Amino acid sequence: MMTVFREIKKHPQNFIILFILFIGISVLLFIFRFDSHSQRRIVYFTAGLYLAWSLYHHYRRGDLSLSIFIEYLLLALFALIVVAATL
Amino acid sequence: MKRFLSRLFIPQESNNHRALILQPSFLGLFIAVYLLNQSLLQSLTIARPGILGYSSEITADKVWTLTNQERQSQNLPALQYNSVLSESATAKAKNMFQQNYWAHTSPKGLSPWDFFRQAGYQYSVAGENLAKDFYDTESLIKAWMNSPTHRANIINDKYQEIGIGVVNGVLNGMKTTLVVEHFGTPLDGRVLASTPPSSTVNTVQNFGPVSSIKPINPALISKTLGLIMFLIIIGVLIVDSYITLKNRTSRLTGSSAGHVGFLLIILALLIFSRQGTIF
Repeated sequence: MMTVFREIKKHPQNFIILFILFIGISVLLFIFRFDSHSQRRIVYFTAGLYLAWSLYHHYRRGDLSLSIFIEYLLLALFALIVVAATL
Repeated sequence: MKRFLSRLFIPQESNNHRALILQPSFLGLFIAVYLLNQSLLQSLTIARPGILGYSSEITADKVWTLTNQERQSQNLPALQYNSVLSESATAKAKNMFQQNYWAHTSPKGLSPWDFFRQAGYQYSVAGENLAKDFYDTESLIKAWMNSPTHRANIINDKYQEIGIGVVNGVLNGMKTTLVVEHFGTPLDGRVLASTPPSSTVNTVQNFGPVSSIKPINPALISKTLGLIMFLIIIGVLIVDSYITLKNRTSRLTGSSAGHVGFLLIILALLIFSRQGTIF
């Protein structure tokens, strides 16, 4: 986990934004913990925000490329498929 | 084999300093495997209806007791058990199995109030709570109490009577238990003394013979597979970023911290997601 923290130290502003987003999403998921339909919609929204953040983060770092975006896209897609099948 | 496993999990020169599992082709493979699992489960519901589903310990008696406990905790009088309301609730649950739907209004347009009338219950106020796929009564009541609209029915001081239908059957190819609560107050204001609900659970078979073996829970299979895959990806992400930073390797990849954060939220959601659906 230390390595993850080191990465965060390099770009604190980008990760503060991501951290705030994740906290907000976690609160929403907790509020709607008994409503799986709303939880599913929140996860779709989170996946969209995660992709938007990836574009912002890598653009600012100057290493935005198609292969990096595909990596984020596949992870988001995988999360959506699992959530849609489970909740 | 050892070399392949090493390339799969550990970043090195032969995998372009990125564990194979984290490369787009393998992430695509994870998605394909998961979708294949879903298709197999779906095929099974069509080919062998009743093999998949939920087994339940719920009885009308327990639902009645716990519903009244919730009312008493709010200083409200207990609801009397009415056998006519129980008939309407059971008829509603059976109708959902027979016509294969999950809603307050049937595909033919029958509303909950039609079931009250068909059973011969004349009401001044009435309400309906629905639930499916719950294993135990405590979780079911907890889910209803945490939903504002269902809770409003349970602790409504205008209701004096209740009838409960607990019916097993096959809905959309999967075995499940439907629970229907019908609340009401008789139009003439005459509340009869309670007739305790029967502990027998009705069964409807609308998709041919249903096997007596314990059904396989499809949501549990999908959840377990999803959890295993998420844990593998998170674990490899942490190992991958540790080795890369240790070796000071420069490469063009996504942010491990971002990926781990996103996957941890989904992982927590999967772990803490609850059983059952209410309507």
